Amino acid sequence: MTTATRTAHAQRKPRKSRADSMLPPMTPKLAVGLTIVVIIAAFAIFVPFFVEDPNKVSDVGMTAPSAQHWLGTTQTGQDVFAQLAYACRGSLFIGLTVGVLAVALSSFFGILGAYVGGATDEAFSLLSNVMLVIPGLPLMIVIASYMPNKSSVLVAGVLALTSWAGPSRVLRGFTMSVRSRDYVLAARVAGEKPWRILFVEIFPNLIPLLASQAMSAIIAAILGEAGLSYLGLGATDSYTWGTMLYYAQNGMALILGAWWWFIPPGLCIALFGAALALINFSVDEIVNPKLKAATRSQIKKWKLEEKAGKAKSDAEYTPSPVPVPVAAKEAVA
Amino acid sequence: MKYVLRKLGFYAIALWAALTLNFFLPRIMPGNPVDQLISKLAQKGQVTPATRHAIELMLGSDSSVPMWRQYLNYFGNIFRGDLGVSVTYFPNSVTSVIGSTLPWTVGLVGISTILAFLIGTLLGTLAGWKRGSWIDNLIPVTTLLQSIPYFWLALILLYFFGLKNPIFPLFGGYDVWSVEPGWNWAFIGSVIKYGTLPAITIVLSSVGGWMLGMRNMMVATLSEDYILTAEAKGLSRGKIMVSYAARNAILPSISGFAISLGFVVAGSIVAESVFSYPGIGFALLTAVQNNDYALMQGIFMIITVSVLGANLFMDLIYGFIDPRTRAQG
Amino acid sequence: MTSKVRKTLRRAIAAVAAFASLMSVAACGGNSSSTAADGTVVSIFNGTTGTFNENFNPFSPTALGPTLGVIYETLYWYNLASDEDPKPMLATGYKWNKDGSEMTITTREGVKWQDGEPFSARDVAFTFNLIHNTPALNTNGTAATAEVIDDNHVKIIFNKGDKPEEFEGAYMQEGGILGGQAIVPEHIWKNVKDPMNYTNSNPIGTGSFKLSKFTNQSYSFKAFKDYWGGSPKIDGVRYIALNDASAATSTLMAGQVDWMSAYIPSYKMLLENYPRIAAVNTPRLTTVVMTCSNTDAGCEGPQTDTAVRQAIYYGMNRTQLNKLAGAGAGAPSSPTMLMPDRDTKWIADSNLKYTPETGNADKAKQILEDAGWKMGKDGYRYKNGEKLSMTIQTVAGWSDFILINDTLKQQLKPLGIEIVPTQMAWNQWNDNEQKGNYQLSLDSLGLGVTSDPYYTYNPRYHSEQMVKVGETSGGQNYARYSNPKVDEAIEAAAATEDESTRKAQYAIVQQEIANDVPYIPVYINSMLTEFNTDKVTGWPTEDNMYALPAAWKAWDMGIILQHLEPKQ
Repeated sequence: MTTATRTAHAQRKPRKSRADSMLPPMTPKLAVGLTIVVIIAAFAIFVPFFVEDPNKVSDVGMTAPSAQHWLGTTQTGQDVFAQLAYACRGSLFIGLTVGVLAVALSSFFGILGAYVGGATDEAFSLLSNVMLVIPGLPLMIVIASYMPNKSSVLVAGVLALTSWAGPSRVLRGFTMSVRSRDYVLAARVAGEKPWRILFVEIFPNLIPLLASQAMSAIIAAILGEAGLSYLGLGATDSYTWGTMLYYAQNGMALILGAWWWFIPPGLCIALFGAALALINFSVDEIVNPKLKAATRSQIKKWKLEEKAGKAKSDAEYTPSPVPVPVAAKEAVA
Repeated sequence: MKYVLRKLGFYAIALWAALTLNFFLPRIMPGNPVDQLISKLAQKGQVTPATRHAIELMLGSDSSVPMWRQYLNYFGNIFRGDLGVSVTYFPNSVTSVIGSTLPWTVGLVGISTILAFLIGTLLGTLAGWKRGSWIDNLIPVTTLLQSIPYFWLALILLYFFGLKNPIFPLFGGYDVWSVEPGWNWAFIGSVIKYGTLPAITIVLSSVGGWMLGMRNMMVATLSEDYILTAEAKGLSRGKIMVSYAARNAILPSISGFAISLGFVVAGSIVAESVFSYPGIGFALLTAVQNNDYALMQGIFMIITVSVLGANLFMDLIYGFIDPRTRAQG
Repeated sequence: MTSKVRKTLRRAIAAVAAFASLMSVAACGGNSSSTAADGTVVSIFNGTTGTFNENFNPFSPTALGPTLGVIYETLYWYNLASDEDPKPMLATGYKWNKDGSEMTITTREGVKWQDGEPFSARDVAFTFNLIHNTPALNTNGTAATAEVIDDNHVKIIFNKGDKPEEFEGAYMQEGGILGGQAIVPEHIWKNVKDPMNYTNSNPIGTGSFKLSKFTNQSYSFKAFKDYWGGSPKIDGVRYIALNDASAATSTLMAGQVDWMSAYIPSYKMLLENYPRIAAVNTPRLTTVVMTCSNTDAGCEGPQTDTAVRQAIYYGMNRTQLNKLAGAGAGAPSSPTMLMPDRDTKWIADSNLKYTPETGNADKAKQILEDAGWKMGKDGYRYKNGEKLSMTIQTVAGWSDFILINDTLKQQLKPLGIEIVPTQMAWNQWNDNEQKGNYQLSLDSLGLGVTSDPYYTYNPRYHSEQMVKVGETSGGQNYARYSNPKVDEAIEAAAATEDESTRKAQYAIVQQEIANDVPYIPVYINSMLTEFNTDKVTGWPTEDNMYALPAAWKAWDMGIILQHLEPKQ
């Protein structure tokens, strides 16, 4: 708690550069989250170079973990550890691709729409509303049926296509509130060019929110991919955590007691997702400084200081963090 | 009034767009229901050219009707409530398939969603109120639960509490061996018993989102001036928490809740396949796998209408609760 | 405040715990799959997923499984599991006239419909005339009308076609008429206005079980005491729906399902742990590499060259494929596409009884060399600049088929053949086969009406069933195979009742297709059926395959249910 209090205080000190305030302070949650993400990422990047071919079949099917096969073997004698390494790579690839695509799409439609306003905003709003209600699963099947191979890029594309609409609505609301802030109005009156207002005055305020949305999109994408795979609609060209689980379920790993095949991929997804969420907590605290882990007495103190005449920093604006509908995740997952 | 009309117009357009997409999506899919049925029959026995002819006659599949006519007929039929005949369950109508599956989904996923919302909001309120307490520290745990793939969690729970320790049933909506469906206590009890494990898994995996959202809003609200004022006035802590903080903090959650209720129908596909639950989500999956256009469209339409309806409802309610929204329009 | 919250929470937890324990008590009480009141009821999972929709119309291709065999019966029953004569059911005899245009059937006496009305030859005549008058019901392709001779005799008169003088006999409709058509009661169906859309919610057949209750999640039957073959020994049957094989296996392990057909990986392990579960393996579906083989029909790619198909035929190591993908439970196939264990009498040349199991790489290479496919620098063969490379398609998620494709790729590479496996949705895969938009496709050949090779050869090898690439195939000649010699032999075999003549004609077909291999046999895939032997006895076993045991097999399921007896 003391660390938290101190950092809270640090924030109250005269402001440093803008970039600095964009970085979250190091908290135990953030540290744990970052550590897990780094470990899993390193596992995904480096381990596949050292393991055997994950497709290699052998006659020792469904064997428990041993020195030779650290995580045992699948029903056809493939090495689970090797598959897990490749699956990490595949899932992270899909997650990152979706994260980037979804943020790009949602900022295009959300920020631009809200900034320009008028008919464009109406049109973009309509589009995002329609996208919100289209079930992603059948869309996936339709698109995939045109391709002889469902590549992970394709799966990522479809997941991104069906996941930008929600965040775009949140961004729109946020942008609209930033747009009407005094300093933006001032810039406008001063005759600054619209693109400059958008990119220099408005956009930096949105970065933490975008980062948070990107991380949510990555989690949602990995979960969504796992869900699609479970229904047999996942990527066919590479291993992912989802396809591993699919094959494990197909091979009835759990029922037949082959936990070493079924548990690790799911655990990886859970750990990675939780780690990103922990990082997200810290980012949220930048988006919404009131969330900083401080006691209520602390808040009271700020209030008093504030009343004592300290200027209100614009970063203190509170967005209304509309929770992303949980079921939207379940719609695919 | 103008606001309401504008909103209604907006949703009418959204509905039209979604229904149009709904019309075209299945039609650009490969294969057709006739081939589908034939290939399935071929695995079970003899298929001759006569089979194709017979099935074409039976399904009345006539590809000579131009697309625009089909499109007009499609809208005409929707407004008459006629969703066509399901190919998979021929000659049963889509309405009857939806009718027999929808109540199960609404019951299971609907109740689970409400439970998750209530529990999450309650926990979130407490966590936000008493930051740093054990409830607040639950948040990383619920986050972990939320990051677990739903079907993975469900399969594991089913394995431990269905197969290894038979506390809960393994499949179905009620005990088909000893219970008669109807409004009797034995049936209702059986439905509750069969729905408990699926409901627990849904609540476990979705409670985290509500909790975090509510907790964050609570924290934000607690730093507002009027809370300070209330404290200064010497109001009791319970009254501040419930009447001042939670009441304001819950608004965004309610909006999210309405939207997630709209997704109940779509949100059940995986849960229903894990628990072999007789709901509409699995019917959608079956329809997609069988190129059952009519059934697919019928279920899509239910999803679309419920989601749009929930959104419209929220927009209208918000217009009354929060006048600022109206001004921004 | 805090203590109040704690108290509330504690109360809530206590309530949840109480509720959970209540549930567990209830669960222990109500989990048995039969109750004393109902007697011995066998629970069956026949592969239906999702919910049941009421349809007991025996003419409908979407009818619920037990409609055919449990409720309604045929005139004769053909056991596809072993080589034996058809068993008389509702008929006791039949006779062809001289030119094969009329068949006189003697119907069984003393048969009662489930509503107590007597069955007679009139019902048989009514059934066939109903089909004749309603083309949409005619899924068997029967071209016949019926005439009642007396209460126990009916004459089936076949259409001689446009040129009666060329009519050679309708012998090949025998299987469909006798063994593929459910007989319906005239006294009920004559009042059905729209037999195509009729869901027949109160089905009355001659079968050994009568429908007692239907709901969307389960339906059950009660034994029909007045069944002509004697009352069944078990009291009832119940069908349940489960959404996947894994759920089915769980329920089997929990003792809630008594009969199902699903592939269980490592099933031998399961059998060791659960002594009351028995499994039989009846390999009947041949896994084949289908080839789009005919350039005249518009097929493109190296597989249109007979030499390439032969090289794949000789080049693959089937023992390894069976071990890896089939868990060793597959059976060796035959280049004649018949079942070596059942159809010995039809396989004329003993050299064609089995496929080469471990492959013959040298022979495959020689065939390719002779055909002008020369090894290139990249390790693959070329002919006139065309690379010996083909795609092979299968359905995403069919893990054993995917494994076969991947292994084939590895096996054929040393021969200079490149195989590119692709996976797609079932819809797409099926559409590609029907329209010929593929090079190689891994699929399996389904069952025929009877074990007569005609039902294997005619739909897949006769050029009458062939259409151009891009058009939808009427029969199942997805390979677009066309060979006048084969056509002629199939027609000649169909025109006679004499078994030895047929055998001679089929021998011609066999030589041709073993040489041309438009469908390259891999192995005969396992077909596992699992039983719970705790409750009832009399299930088929590997030694006594009195019927094909698959829980989804029409007609056979009625036969099996009659054989079951409660365990003492």
